[in-house]
Amino acid sequence: MTTVLEVEDITKTYMMGEIPVNALRGLSFKVESGEYIAIVGPSGSGKSTLLNMIGALDRPTSGNLMIEGVDVSTLSDNQLADTRKNVGFVFQFFNLIPRLDARGNVELPLAIADVPRSERKKRTKEVLTSVGLEDRMHHKPSELSGGERQRVAVARAIVASPAFILMDEPTGNLDSKTAGEIMDLVKQLNEEQGVTLIVVSHDQNIGRQAGRTLHMLDGVIASDVVN
Amino acid sequence: MKSRDVFSFAFGAVRLRKMRAGLTILGIVIGIAAIVALTSITTGLQVTITSELGEGFSSDTVTVSTQSFGMFGGGSSDFTLLVNDTDTINEIDGVQTSAAIMSKSVMLDFGSTELPLSVTGVDYAAYASIYPSFVTEEGSIPETPANDSVVIGSRLTDPWDNGTVLAEVGDTILISWTHRVGLEIVEKNYTAEVVAVLEEIGGFSMGPSDLGLYIPLSTAQSFFDTDEVNSIAVKLVSDDEEFVETVSQAIEDAFDGLVSVTSPTALLAIMSSVFDIISLFLVGIAGISLLVAGIGIMNIMIVSLLERTREIGILKALGMKSRTVLGIFLTEALVVGLVGAVVGVVTGYSMAIIFSAFSGSMFGGGMLGGDRGLSTSMMTITPVLTTEIILGAMLFGVLVAVIFALYPAWRASKLNPVDALRHE
Ligand SMILES: Nc1ncnc2c1ncn2[C@@H]1O[C@H](COP(=O)(O)OP(=O)(O)OP(=O)(O)O)[C@@H](O)[C@H]1O
Ligand SMILES: [Mg+2]
Repeated sequence: MTTVLEVEDITKTYMMGEIPVNALRGLSFKVESGEYIAIVGPSGSGKSTLLNMIGALDRPTSGNLMIEGVDVSTLSDNQLADTRKNVGFVFQFFNLIPRLDARGNVELPLAIADVPRSERKKRTKEVLTSVGLEDRMHHKPSELSGGERQRVAVARAIVASPAFILMDEPTGNLDSKTAGEIMDLVKQLNEEQGVTLIVVSHDQNIGRQAGRTLHMLDGVIASDVVN
Repeated sequence: MKSRDVFSFAFGAVRLRKMRAGLTILGIVIGIAAIVALTSITTGLQVTITSELGEGFSSDTVTVSTQSFGMFGGGSSDFTLLVNDTDTINEIDGVQTSAAIMSKSVMLDFGSTELPLSVTGVDYAAYASIYPSFVTEEGSIPETPANDSVVIGSRLTDPWDNGTVLAEVGDTILISWTHRVGLEIVEKNYTAEVVAVLEEIGGFSMGPSDLGLYIPLSTAQSFFDTDEVNSIAVKLVSDDEEFVETVSQAIEDAFDGLVSVTSPTALLAIMSSVFDIISLFLVGIAGISLLVAGIGIMNIMIVSLLERTREIGILKALGMKSRTVLGIFLTEALVVGLVGAVVGVVTGYSMAIIFSAFSGSMFGGGMLGGDRGLSTSMMTITPVLTTEIILGAMLFGVLVAVIFALYPAWRASKLNPVDALRHE
């Protein structure tokens, strides 16, 4: 197993005008390729902030973050953007583009990665089918239920076959049955294709599924438990 | 992202806000339409004038008058030209022949209608040898004309194009001239007989006009009781530009510089520079409206940027590069500018055509101007739409749209994805 992620004493400080907010206060851990990690912790403990760092959306204030052996602090904005193409992100708030229908939203990462049109169409349909939305392809987000939107977001995260999938409360809006189906799907990707999976969730089932649980408290890791 | 995908993404964004995009496009349309309408009309006018002048003006003919033409109006000296000055002019080297022209405003009674027009006294033979357009359609110009003969322009037969014939060969016209003698107002009359009708000349020319009435110079001298003439037309032996200039100078010198000699080429140059100034001015005004449209675009792009901050965050989180975000926003402006420019060109040209049809009927139908050498009475302007105008207008519209979108687009591209995603 290779180390795909190395977090070394990173901090993140947001400035609220003059007042600094320490969202992350020095935390370290390593992730091996193909791991399934659950991150839990109270609201405001810095889970989303950490996920943003891992997903190359933002740079830490201090400390080192190595994604697949590359220090993100050395990367240019363009290189950072390229790194994101290898990450499937499911945001805490769905973050779909309202103007595009389900298919358009799911197709977007492929279009950004310059995948040819015909292949894009095929792949998009496949993924939407796998999340059970083949008959909702032409619905805009506003025409979908909360759970359906969440599934579109998951479909968008997995469509480009990324090496990492990062999910922020992916099942918060779903009933336990649908939640189970979705998590089975990503678990399958994790097991069969060795996709590294990091999920922020309070869902007991996800906690049980995951191989390891990071417990966060006030911007640090309080416990790191291998199940 | 491939440019085709960038385009369809941008196009989708424009289409979503139809009302807003429509209004922005309208701004561009108004600016471009104004520019196109103005330039196509002035170009058309210039083409008309140059071609008609080119026909009507033989470049070996110059006009001597006490008026001076200039870009900033003309002046008139107290000097007067007399009938016999043609003798002086004819002696100058390089002059082939000359004809004195005496023009007066009179009242004409055609029996059925009275019309105020001007009547021109010329020596038929000399005039005809200078202006080839002084040829007859009906009747003939007598070599030794009777005192009461008059040659009329073709348009006087049917001035309103509706079959009302004012005068034909053989008809008589009562010419009355009202003038002042001492303190008294005196009216003089005489009856002239139409001996010939000229061939149609066309709108714009030096010399004979379709609305002119030509009486023998000697008749004019005795009827108007003067030897003063308005101008003398001079035909030179060559139309070489330098030669024309030298002889013109010689003529001016012969009158101690108190007259001015106008060559058609010089007149043309003056007129076209006047048109250039006018069109530059008008296009400048149209340009201001484009500037306003550009600020509108900038405003809308900034609003759109604020609204779509989250969308930009999503795109960046999915791995889109800053320059692609820039490209999307600029493409949106490009779409708006291009649609506006195309619609603007079509609208502007249609406006020009409508204007020229309207102005054509106005000039051609109602107004009967006098003979002033240059008559605009029958001039119709055909707007000219050149490839340069089309391309220039489109380029200008698109440039305005894109330039004003640069700043908002740049700001959008610089957004940090995390901040953008947190935007409510
Ligand atoms: N852009 C920001 N500016 C200022 N403060 C921020 C910013 N982003 C996060 N924070 C602060 O950092 C802390 C951690 O936020 P974060 O979103 O990571 O919490 P979380 O663990 O994901 O919480 P939740 O479970 O509610 O989603 C919070 O106190 C939050 O107010
Ligand atoms: Mg969170």
